[in-house]
Amino acid sequence: MRRPIDRREFLKRGGALLAAGALPMSLVEIAFGKDSGREGFTFAYLSDSHITHVRGREFVRNWDRGLIQAVAEANLLDPRPDFIMYGGDIAQLGKREEIDHGLEILSGLRGEVRYVMGEHDYYLDLGEHWRRRLGPDHYSFRHKGVQFIVLNSILTDDDWTHRRWPSAAERMHQMARLDNPQGSPFMVGEAQRAWLRGELEKVDTDTPLVVFSHSPLQKIYKGWNFWTDDAEQVQALLKPFRKVTVLYGHVHQIQYNQIGNISFHSVMATAWPWPYPQSFVQSPSHLPKLTVPMDRANPFFERDGTGWQFIDLHTGNADVHYLLPDNRNRVVAYDTAAGHPVDREYQDPKRRIPPQTRY
Amino acid sequence: MKRGKPEGRCAAAGALAAAILLGFAVAASADEFTRQDLERWQGEYMAVVKKGEALFHGGLKSTNTVSCDQCHPDAADIHPETYPKFQRQLGRVAVLGEMINWCIMNPLQSKPLALDDPRMVALQAYITFERRGVALAPGKH
Amino acid sequence: MAKRSRGLGVACALLFAGGVPRLPAAPLGLPPVPIPSDNPQSAAKIALGDRLFHDKRFSSTGRVACANCHKAELVFTDGLKVSEGIHKLKGTRNAPTVVNAAYMKTLFWDGREPDLEGQSQQPFVNPVEMGLKNHDPILKIVRTDPKYAAAFRRVFGKSGAGITMTEVARAIASFERTLVSGDSPFDRYYFAGDRRAMTAAQIRGFEVFVNQGRCVSCHTIEQTQALFTDNRFHNIGVGFKRIRGRENRLARQFIAAKRGGANVDVTVLTQKDMSEMGRFAVTENLTQIGAFKTPTLRNVALTAPYMHDGSLETLADVVDFYNNGGRLRKTDPVDDFQSGGIRPLNLTKRQKADLVAFLKALTSPQYARRGGQRTAAVGAARRERGQP
Repeated sequence: MRRPIDRREFLKRGGALLAAGALPMSLVEIAFGKDSGREGFTFAYLSDSHITHVRGREFVRNWDRGLIQAVAEANLLDPRPDFIMYGGDIAQLGKREEIDHGLEILSGLRGEVRYVMGEHDYYLDLGEHWRRRLGPDHYSFRHKGVQFIVLNSILTDDDWTHRRWPSAAERMHQMARLDNPQGSPFMVGEAQRAWLRGELEKVDTDTPLVVFSHSPLQKIYKGWNFWTDDAEQVQALLKPFRKVTVLYGHVHQIQYNQIGNISFHSVMATAWPWPYPQSFVQSPSHLPKLTVPMDRANPFFERDGTGWQFIDLHTGNADVHYLLPDNRNRVVAYDTAAGHPVDREYQDPKRRIPPQTRY
Repeated sequence: MKRGKPEGRCAAAGALAAAILLGFAVAASADEFTRQDLERWQGEYMAVVKKGEALFHGGLKSTNTVSCDQCHPDAADIHPETYPKFQRQLGRVAVLGEMINWCIMNPLQSKPLALDDPRMVALQAYITFERRGVALAPGKH
Repeated sequence: MAKRSRGLGVACALLFAGGVPRLPAAPLGLPPVPIPSDNPQSAAKIALGDRLFHDKRFSSTGRVACANCHKAELVFTDGLKVSEGIHKLKGTRNAPTVVNAAYMKTLFWDGREPDLEGQSQQPFVNPVEMGLKNHDPILKIVRTDPKYAAAFRRVFGKSGAGITMTEVARAIASFERTLVSGDSPFDRYYFAGDRRAMTAAQIRGFEVFVNQGRCVSCHTIEQTQALFTDNRFHNIGVGFKRIRGRENRLARQFIAAKRGGANVDVTVLTQKDMSEMGRFAVTENLTQIGAFKTPTLRNVALTAPYMHDGSLETLADVVDFYNNGGRLRKTDPVDDFQSGGIRPLNLTKRQKADLVAFLKALTSPQYARRGGQRTAAVGAARRERGQP
């Protein structure tokens, strides 16, 4: 029997693991004394904790632990990321207790945190408690020469939102169910698109643009709302800019794509993973062909299939480092030669491994 | 039947034939079903599928409010067509119902169902219905 | 499988060679021992490895051999919380058993070596183990001692400067690959169908192990074999209290030291805080802080104390620890980095007792015989150190 792995390869893999999300790029550069000559920075990204109130002071332990672990790991990043984004769905049913309990756990993060609205935060009280605690649900900011835009992209049509359901709780339950035949597609909506247009007019087209959104700003699978109904209109607004990256939550899995000049990257949930849409065979779906799926999760390990990420913007395009407990860390980075994001380890079909097989 | 034979024997033969036919008819009705039967039974099955769908989407009333559809929208990623199979979480070859129970006991933190519990049957009816058309692949991991 | 028959062939040869009884390559409940193609087994190599394993001259004081911490009469452990090397210097970690280590995909609690060959070389040069500055003293002995010289020539066809640590390591690993044991009461019950091999309590405990105890996912049992380890790394919450709240600082310090050339093997065995980094020390993966390798449970009843720091004394303590969700007391805080496989189990008293009974069914017959001896040896070790 061949020795399964020889010593040199074993030690080399320790080094390869270094590249695959173990440390921020900037730390690697500092460590090896490289002078990159560019003002790069990293930010961390946590998302989709789905904190769920059970009764009294009891919350679903599994989702609590997922968020707690992500916070603890994110605090290990050294040097510190410039800021931290939270990608939406703090709560599961939009309850005050859930938002408050989630924010209490997130308050353990060392660093400045900014938030994106998720549908599970919104549809109970139309975002009232969220906004009271966190401020506007769409806004923009500039950082080290990069323009960041945060959208509330989980709105839906007025009728469904305001007139369809007998109670707010019922509306929230309906939106909470992912595979809901009575669901309604996400959208950014006309008002916010107008706001976005206004914001973008102030920005030079050479400025790197990063858009944070909960829904994908693409049309991937309508049945599970991996979908933004006005995706094309939003993308059209982003088209004039040379380097655009969209980071989105909601899907609880690794996805990435390139549409024209826009790179799309999903972020992981700290709560639980979702199947890839092609595994529901009764309905066609459109997962971006580029995407190499994350390794399948073993549900015994409650963190498996969950994770968080840090993003390196040293080029103005994003390198997304996924930290996946009990799973295989991944790096999906923009490849200048290819002109789109590429999984650093597994993009080549010959490098795929069995745990990435989905059916 | 040949003509000209004594009528009694014809009648007897006819009666015998009729009796035999009747006998077969009695035996044959065990397997006989009409289009209406098929429609009705399909309806009964779909009613149980519907019950299973409800159970799957929160109807199990787990102790921690977690429901099956949270990780398995539209029963995806359950792969009923691969059972029986070696199930890592159980350390042995198992049937679908046993893995359903594993999920009920673990992520849902609730009491398992008997394998012939109507709720277990309904769950399996729903899960396999959502996977209809996929070829059997027993043992596939 | 050709390998199996060759293994058995070798084993048969061993059984009759030199009068030293050895087990066949695939005991009941285990697959054939993986043998690397560049280090095939032979009776002479095994005997050489045995001698090297027991040679106290390979230490700076001349008093410490591998066998000091891996005593045959204690199922190749030492019965101590953490091991003691030269001058009784204390390390930070509990000595894992060598028995069935041949099935491990990585060695040491943090998997920092890929194979037995690699592992064997580290303790010689660790300051709290054998304390040598480098391997030269070992090479001097094996090259000049006439018995060793003859053995190396016979086994490897090498002599003088041709004998290197590669040959030494291969011989030691070769000996270790004969230390395999299955055929426990559990194996006879589950794989040989002997319904009377386990007691009623043990049978109930087996059911707990697979179901409510949630043991089987890491301590694997499969349809035709049971390694009782998934060969992966998990933080189950042992020892984190020590470093709680300081993980950031320690992780940063550790990486800085590593970049500055610090040796991982030395660092983790000489600094208790750093030892708690676990697998992170090797991979620098932020999701592996405090994660340690799942040990096998075979013969576990005889390899107390337990866990990477030896902090749990009895199997009952271990079961309580898991039952509490990876905590000594239910009121203790939960480690932020704890594996998602760990959570409170809500076992009844009876279930816990049954589980302990089941764990006792994992003792292989060749070690079960020595059970009485083992208790005596552990008692002696503890009295020597002034412990009750």
